[in-house]
This record gives sequence, structure tokens and C-alpha cells, in this order.
Amino acid sequence: MSRATKQFFRDKRVILLIVLLLISIISISVIGIEQGLDLKGGSSLQLQLDHPVDKATMDIVTSVLDKRLNLYGVTDVKVRSSGNQMVIVEMAGKSPQEVEKLIGNPGKFEAKIDNQTVLTGVDVANVKSPEVDSQGGWHVPFELTTEGAKNFAAAAKGKGGHEVVMYLDGKEIDKDHPTLSEELASGEPVTEIEVTGGAEDQAAAKEEANAVYTVLKTGSLPVKLKVIGSNTVSPELGQQFALGALIAGFLAILGISAVVFLRYRRAVLAVPILLTTFSEIIIILGVASLIHWNMDLAAIAGLIASVGTGVDDQIIITDEVLNHDSESTRHRRTRTQMNVKNALFIIFASAGTLIAAMLPLAYVGFARGSSGIGTIAGFAFTTIIGVLIGVFITRPVYAKFIELFIS
Amino acid sequence: MFEKIMDNYKVLIIVPFIIALLSLSLIAINGFDYGIDLRGGSQADFELIGSATTADVENALKTNLHASDIKVMNSDNKKVTIETDTSASALEFTNALDGKAKLVTYNTIGPVLSDEAMDQIYIAMIFAFIFMAVTVFVVFREFVPSIGVILAALFDIIIAVGGMSLFHIPLSIASVGALLMLIGYSVDTDILLTTRLLKRKEGTVIERAKAAMKTGLTMSIAAIVAMAILYIVTILFMPKATTLSNISAVLIIGLCGDIITTWLMNLGILRWYIERKQAKKQEKYLNLNDNSKESKKDKDKESKDLKESKKDKKSKKKNKNKKKKSSKKGKKKKGGN
Repeated sequence: MSRATKQFFRDKRVILLIVLLLISIISISVIGIEQGLDLKGGSSLQLQLDHPVDKATMDIVTSVLDKRLNLYGVTDVKVRSSGNQMVIVEMAGKSPQEVEKLIGNPGKFEAKIDNQTVLTGVDVANVKSPEVDSQGGWHVPFELTTEGAKNFAAAAKGKGGHEVVMYLDGKEIDKDHPTLSEELASGEPVTEIEVTGGAEDQAAAKEEANAVYTVLKTGSLPVKLKVIGSNTVSPELGQQFALGALIAGFLAILGISAVVFLRYRRAVLAVPILLTTFSEIIIILGVASLIHWNMDLAAIAGLIASVGTGVDDQIIITDEVLNHDSESTRHRRTRTQMNVKNALFIIFASAGTLIAAMLPLAYVGFARGSSGIGTIAGFAFTTIIGVLIGVFITRPVYAKFIELFIS
Repeated sequence: MFEKIMDNYKVLIIVPFIIALLSLSLIAINGFDYGIDLRGGSQADFELIGSATTADVENALKTNLHASDIKVMNSDNKKVTIETDTSASALEFTNALDGKAKLVTYNTIGPVLSDEAMDQIYIAMIFAFIFMAVTVFVVFREFVPSIGVILAALFDIIIAVGGMSLFHIPLSIASVGALLMLIGYSVDTDILLTTRLLKRKEGTVIERAKAAMKTGLTMSIAAIVAMAILYIVTILFMPKATTLSNISAVLIIGLCGDIITTWLMNLGILRWYIERKQAKKQEKYLNLNDNSKESKKDKDKESKDLKESKKDKKSKKKNKNKKKKSSKKGKKKKGGN
């Protein structure tokens, strides 16, 4: 027995499994697992643009929304595009009503000189891409409407060198106020003006310029948005889900062990099956934590699916080995090894088909983000990861265990 | 039980076909419910404020939102869950509640989203099935066994969808996930059976089938037990986590269907296929014998190809072949007459 134990722990796959388990446990405890919105509570909103847009416009829309929500102190917000006409906003701890107010709001941009409004969002006709030079100087050119240019010229007359303070919905955007250039203070209406500034280096300049650019744009989103779907889960309900899933998972594993025990009448067998199942779960969660994969209810279902096929595989391995045990007493070890190889063929074949079936779903999910069927892409992705971990790492170790100890 | 199945395997192939047909007609007559993620609409949980009743809220929604078809899903003292086909924004919904209730969670799916989800589901299902079928063909490289596996998976899905129609489990994004998972479980048992029957040599076909059935049933029962536990826990402790209860319910039905399709249909198809293959080989062997006196070496090669027990000594094999040969000849004569 002790020789078998030694041989077991010397096997490459066993060592790999132990190492991966350790990494996973460390990763889970250090990095933690990101919970999906349905577990930690939060809202997601699906927005539809008036018409399909190109990627550049889409980037503007998402960065404007992101910036706007941040300005309102909504932290932990994720804004991402889905296809060319949809945007998804996800955030924890805000009710959808509040978020809708923020997004539905056009966002009122104001520029003030000496506490007097000189420019508002409606005056801005167009904002051009920011330009940054290598010394850290930057400028954001933008166009005013004719009406806006007139108003601005009148209000700014004689105020060259004064500070211009920019606001979004009454909130100050930047503490470093740019100053008004002399030529703009002449009283002559100009439609093309720009905000300029300087920073220490090019990167900082780029950041500052982008911030100003976004704010100018925020007042005027390039396309109209409409909320077409939303969902919220309260944090309490989310916790209930998380706890329920844990209980269900634990009981399901117990149930499986009971079936295995009833079938084989050998308590010894339940141990490796339980160990394999738990290590599969731990490694999947470890991977999820490393790649910051959101664990939501769909992902938990995927976890259950892959663990479920894992149990299937373990039963196949056990039967392959045990069934033929009595057949030959000579060359028992080689026979066992052959049986394990046979079992692994079945396991790889069924894993291949399951992954093949899950791929289209995972693809749609990645292509479209969490709208439509994308909401269960997490399910497909987790299943694929789980099955891969299972067939390459944990199930071969189980086979090794059965080969050495049980037969 | 097992012997009866094995004896009547040709008749039993029909059973899954009948069940699948029944299932299809049930779907055609009964139709199935769509979850709000596929048909569009809203689902809201709210807490009643003060002395307001569920009926008050319903009326408020009817007048303010022109909401039709309000379904009270769950009502527990002050906490109420409703579903309606009207999709309104959370803001509109809150206003429509008119201070009678506090919105706790709110899901709304506009028609754009639900249409998109519907399209994506068709695409994902069709491609999942195609990819699965291609993989099965690559694994087995034989037409009939591959078709057997694919047909079993198809029937499992049909039976599961029929069950959804029967028990009013809504077709939703979550239940589609369950159907995909079902493909995985279904293929598991079928690949096990096909591999054991076609690629193994030890024991007779029936012995191998029996062993495979023992393994396969353990797998299915373990999965059904796990899913039943998941379902019960979800219903008892978190009735709102419909993602999980839908997935587990669909899988329980599908896995039960899988037991029937795998062990009545796929096993039958495979046995029929193996018998035909053996008969063909026999015929070839006979022809060889009749036409020319082939060397002993060839005979041995032929008999090895017959999927007979490897353990048998060469002499035994020869005897068996002779027996078969004679019985075959006898049959032929009969047919001739």
C-alpha cells in the first residue's frame, strides 16, 4: 500500500493537481471571486441606440456614459457595448430607477466665467478629437452653433484671462480651471474654439484632454438612447441566491455520493469521488478568480454541469477498472492500465462533444456581451473550462488513484 | 427485465419514437410558455406599503401603465411578485405603483431584446447540434452508430421540450442552457454504450451491453438525484432563482428521457447494426470459401474480425464459426425454398 501511495504522489498529473489546487486556494483567498450581479445585488440596464453606429461612435457613447455615471458618484460601474446598437450598463448597489434617471438625463453642460454662464451643452455643435503634442500641451477643438457663438461672444467680452469653470449638471468637472484667451474676449462671434491646457507629460496631457473631450461630448451624446430592458436583484436576494446555491451544491454532492455508495457498496470509493469533485470545483473557482470571471447564477449552473459530467466520468473509470478485475489474475496491472485508457477514450469523446455543443453559446456571449442569450454565456464558458480542467487534470488523477488503490 | 429488453430489442426501438412523436404533438397542441426574457415583459417584486393590497397595485398598474395580463406569481404577506407582458422602464413602473408599493427587484425585457434573444437561441441551438454531430462523426467514423448517438440526443431534447410543455416550464434563456447541458449528458451515455459495444472485444455483445447499462444507469441516476436535490432546494429556499429551478427541472425530464432513448433505441440500433455487420462478414467469408480454397491464414483473419470473445482459444473459435456457418447455410436454404 505504501508503495502505491509513493507511486501515486510521484505521478506527474497528481503533482500538477496538487500544485494547481494550492494556486487556486491562494488565488481565491487573495484575489477573491467576483460575484455576478445576481449574487451580490445590483442592476443592469440594456440601452438601445437610435441607429447602429460604427466602433468609434460606440466608444464615445460608452465612455460618455461611464464618465457621467462616475461624475455622479456611481462607482463599480461597467459600461460596455453589445453589438453595434446596444449598450449594457451594470452596477452594484444602485436601484434601476436612480440609474435610469442618470442615463435618461441628457446631461447639462455649462461653462461659467465669474459665476456667469457663458456656454451650455446646447451651444456645442460638434466636438473634435483632442490633440496632444509631445511636450504635454493639449487642445480640444469644438464648434459652437451660430446662436451659441453669439451668446458666448457677448458674455465673454472683455474677460480675457479669466478662469473658465466647467460644470456637468451643476457639478464642477475639473479643479484646474482653464483661462479664457484674449482673442475670444474681443466680442466677435467665433464658432470654432478650443479648450487648451498643459500637463507634465504626454500621457497626462492625453488623460486631461480626454476628460475635457468627454465632458463636452456628454452634453451632447452622438445618438439618442432608450432603455429597452433592465433588471435588478437586491443584495439580500443575491445573498439568498448565493447561500441557496451553496447548500444545493453541497447536498447534490452528498446525493451523488449516496448513489455511488449504493451502487458499489464500498465506502472507500466515495472518498476519491468526493475529493475529485471538490478539487474540480476549487480549480474552476481558482481560474475564475484569476481571470476575474464573474460568478453568477448561470456560471454556478455551468459549474454544476461540469462537475456532473465529472461524476459521470468517474463512474465510467470505476466500472472499466472494476468490471474486468475478476477476469484475469495475471498481468492485472497492465490490464488495469488498458482499462483506464479505454475509459479515458470515452471521457475525451464525450468531453469533446459537450464542448462542441457549448461553443456557439459561448461565442454569442462573447460577441454580444450580456444581452439576450449572452446572459447565460457564463454558463457555457464555465462548463467548457470545467470540462477541460476535468479531462486534463482531475479525472486522470482519479483514474490513477483507482488504478493503484482500488483494483 | 434486462433479458426481456435484450430479446425484444427490435420492437423496443419503436418506443422512443412513439414517445418523441407524442412529445411533438403535445408541443404542437399545448404549445409552451415563453419566459419573459423571450416574449418580452416585466417581472417585479415589491413590498406593499401600508394597507395597500395586491389588488390595489394591480389596478394602479392597469390604469397607469395600461398593463394587461398581470399575473401574480408569488405572494407572501407583504411581498408580491408579478409578471406582466407590458415592458416599462423601472422609472415608469415605480411611478405607476403610485406609492402603494416599494419596488424591490425589477426585470424588464423590451421587444427588441426578446426578439434578439430568440434569434440567438435558435442560432446557438442549431450550431450546438451541428457541432455535436460533427464531433460524434469524427469520434466514431461509422455512419449508423453516429446517427444513433445524434438521434438519441435529438429525441432527448424533444422529450425534454415536451415535458416543459406538459409541466408549463417556460422556455427561457435558462432552460435553453439546460437543453444544451442535456446534449452533454445524453451524449455521455450514448458514447459509453457505443464504445463498449463496438470497440471492445471481451464478452458477448449482450454481456457488454449489460455492463454498459449498469454504468450508464448509475451515471443517469446520479445526475437525476443531483438535479432533483438542486430543484428541491431551489424551490424551498430561493423560489426566485428560476434560473436554477428551470435548469434542474428540464434536466430531470431530459435525463429520464435519456434512459429510454439510450437503452431502448440506441442499444437496439447498435445491436441491429452489429448483427448486420457480422452477417455481411459471414457472407463474405462463405463466398471466399465457396469460390476458392483460401489459406487458413485468411480464415483466421476473418474470424478475428467477427467481434467474438478474444479469450477463446483458436480451436474454439473455429468450432463456433463452423456452427454459425452451418446455421447460416440452413437459413439460406430455408429462404431459397
